[in-house]
Amino acid sequence: MRTYDQTNMAIIAANRFGYGLRAGDDLAPEQAKIWLKQGLMAPMFDKQLPSTTNMMATIAKNRMEKRRLKDDAQQLDSDKKRYPRQQHLAFLEHQFNSLIHAEHTIQWRLLAFFANHFSVTAQNDLMWVLAPALERDAIAPNLLGTFEALLLAVIKHPAMLIYLNNERSFGPNSKLGRRGKGMNENLAREILELHTLGVDGGYSQTDVIELAKAITGWSVANPVKENSAGFRFRDKGHEPGQRQLLGATYRQTGQSQGEAMLTTLARHPATRHHLCVKLARHFIADEPSEILVREMEEAWLQSGGAIKQVMLALIDSAESWKPARQKFKTPHEFVFSSLRLLQPPTIATKRLASALKQLGQQPHKAGSPAGYPDTEADWLGAKALMTRIDWATLAAGRYRRNADELMQTALADSASERTYNKVIRAESRAQATTLLLLSPEFQRR
Amino acid sequence: MDRRRFIKLSGASLMLWPTAPVWSQMPSPNQPNTGKKLIWVLLRGALDSLHTIVPSTDSSYRQHRPKIANDLLTSALPLSADFALHPALQNLYSWYQAKQFLPIVAVGSGYDARSHFDGQDFLEAGLGHIDHDSGWLARAVNSHQSQGLAVSQTTPIAFRSSEQATTWYPSRFRQTKQDTYAALLDLYQESPSLLAQLEEGLATQQLLRDSGTASSGKANFKELTEACGTLMSAENGPDCAMLELGGWDTHNNQANRLNRQLTELDQGLAALKASLGSQWQQTVVMVSTEFGRTVRENGTAGTDHGTGSCMLLAGGAINGGRVLGTWPGLKAEQLYQGRDLKPTSMTFRWWATLLAQHWGLSEKQLAAVLPGSQKYAIELVRGG
Repeated sequence: MRTYDQTNMAIIAANRFGYGLRAGDDLAPEQAKIWLKQGLMAPMFDKQLPSTTNMMATIAKNRMEKRRLKDDAQQLDSDKKRYPRQQHLAFLEHQFNSLIHAEHTIQWRLLAFFANHFSVTAQNDLMWVLAPALERDAIAPNLLGTFEALLLAVIKHPAMLIYLNNERSFGPNSKLGRRGKGMNENLAREILELHTLGVDGGYSQTDVIELAKAITGWSVANPVKENSAGFRFRDKGHEPGQRQLLGATYRQTGQSQGEAMLTTLARHPATRHHLCVKLARHFIADEPSEILVREMEEAWLQSGGAIKQVMLALIDSAESWKPARQKFKTPHEFVFSSLRLLQPPTIATKRLASALKQLGQQPHKAGSPAGYPDTEADWLGAKALMTRIDWATLAAGRYRRNADELMQTALADSASERTYNKVIRAESRAQATTLLLLSPEFQRR
Repeated sequence: MDRRRFIKLSGASLMLWPTAPVWSQMPSPNQPNTGKKLIWVLLRGALDSLHTIVPSTDSSYRQHRPKIANDLLTSALPLSADFALHPALQNLYSWYQAKQFLPIVAVGSGYDARSHFDGQDFLEAGLGHIDHDSGWLARAVNSHQSQGLAVSQTTPIAFRSSEQATTWYPSRFRQTKQDTYAALLDLYQESPSLLAQLEEGLATQQLLRDSGTASSGKANFKELTEACGTLMSAENGPDCAMLELGGWDTHNNQANRLNRQLTELDQGLAALKASLGSQWQQTVVMVSTEFGRTVRENGTAGTDHGTGSCMLLAGGAINGGRVLGTWPGLKAEQLYQGRDLKPTSMTFRWWATLLAQHWGLSEKQLAAVLPGSQKYAIELVRGG
């Protein structure tokens, strides 16, 4: 007689905080919390991947060449045309490998959370390379530091400045402004609405404009003319004068004015609450309990917004270990937890990226600075499920595995009688694996 | 037919699956299906109405938009004495001549902040406040006892709270084998939410297979509208649908971006008309966006988030060929908060008017679908 037990902490830890266990993994339940904490390290990116400066310079050169060739009615050669997508795929390949094969994945889940919190979309050649570069350059190194440091690094990264049109936003009374270059409030609004205070965080339209003015001149170096790439403060485009934000006066001049505002916003109670609720919603439940959020906010307050301390509070909270599976996996979580279980010998990066697209969560393609949604209502739809079924059928058919062993790894004793019997009695090994991946227990975590 | 019997049968031959699509399983409506179609297109990202229905005689317009207005004023297609249409909207223009296109200017939903996401949620709820669990189209199909279709991976807020709505979206993956579906139906017996979505997904798939609609799997707007029309014009097809099109958040380079976007919208709507065939005569298409954009262009040849926008109505049932809406003017003192087009009429009230005239909803029904939104006394629908 098999036992039915949903309280196995190893299963909860691996699925709720990471991308699940790999075929053959054997994690002792009493080690689960320690094991999770060991995983809280900065995700490592392959040192072979080209630097952001290098990629931006290559794209700038290719753009110039393209313009020259166009005058002679010629086209850029296909290698140069493909360059942005190929660099993007190189990043994805590296990341997919870590997600599928690494022992620890909690740090990759946290990276994905913040990459989505600071969502940028690959909408042109430059953004295809900058979107993954943002994760490597700005998010990963600050992932377990303070939110303040993370926020500053992200906002100053060319990916964010270009995506939200700040690189050419110049104050009306600045030198550049008086020559007809203007301002826009896109980045400032999203900082307030999405990145820090949240839409109900108590700011006004005036605050949006004041922040927008304070970050005028926050721009990106021209890799050809200025012989460098990355953040460049353009004093000539900065709106002169003191500013007011949320009732406080900022008398700084130049770049430090915007920095001071971002620091205030990062430390604001509304930001703390917004981020803690969002983290709890991502890891634990669509409607996280107030106790859990309070415990996380307390850790934030004690540590000055140290993300690692907030994550430790999350891991230590009793609220995080309830047996009920309260989250429906996003397509991203579903695909990578499936592949960790299946352990494919090789990964076809392009095909996998295309599968994620079909499932509704193409990497770096959220199409909005709000990023992808994060609740069951957003992901469990008729068509979404049908697409998931098709993908699971393909994946299970491609990598034939012993489904009852996989079920033991993935669910241990938490499989219901019905799921257990359906998997064991499936008509083929491929179908058994398909049913395991699509079972309610595997689709929820 | 009950589910367990279906599963038994399906073991023998699922290809002979007798279960009809979700919308034909509904209890038969009190009123006979009149076949009157209602389609809502939501433009996510805030369409700049001033760059679409151009106020060609408002002298302030050119002053507010030195970079982006000039070319447009030359090329826009004349509608009424005071308004002209963006030249990319060629099909809509020909419908205007045929009195099947009716733009309404200076419309607002009542949402008065400037967040896309909240603004869209507010619009989809149709309640005057944000509610993520109840949408206006869901309440409309519940009230009218008709069936709804969201061309989307998952149910958008507008269709939440109705058992009578389903979703459809193209997929490029190979079809899963029928016996896997049968096994999944059994596997989900104790998981109601998964089971419900699977049953709907299967029903829709069956309907598409029956109608022979093959999808190339590339989800551009034109293909989505085409498939939507095919599904709606099938026998017992849904009579209400929602389509979405993003890409309207033009903070920079607006003129070029809107050329592309409006072309896509125009061609998509033409494909919808073509695939609806003769049903077009009984169709109302409503195009909305969450809010408008700033009247003044910004420093990057674009516009920022604003308030008032426009509503576009089209279809064989529409009494068109005119521009509606009271124009608030574009002088500095006429602008909302000194920056935006001031709304002079309410989105939800226009919807209420359409639901009353096209679907014959009573005052009582309207109060449940769009609470607090009185209909306007103006004929939008032919003979409505």
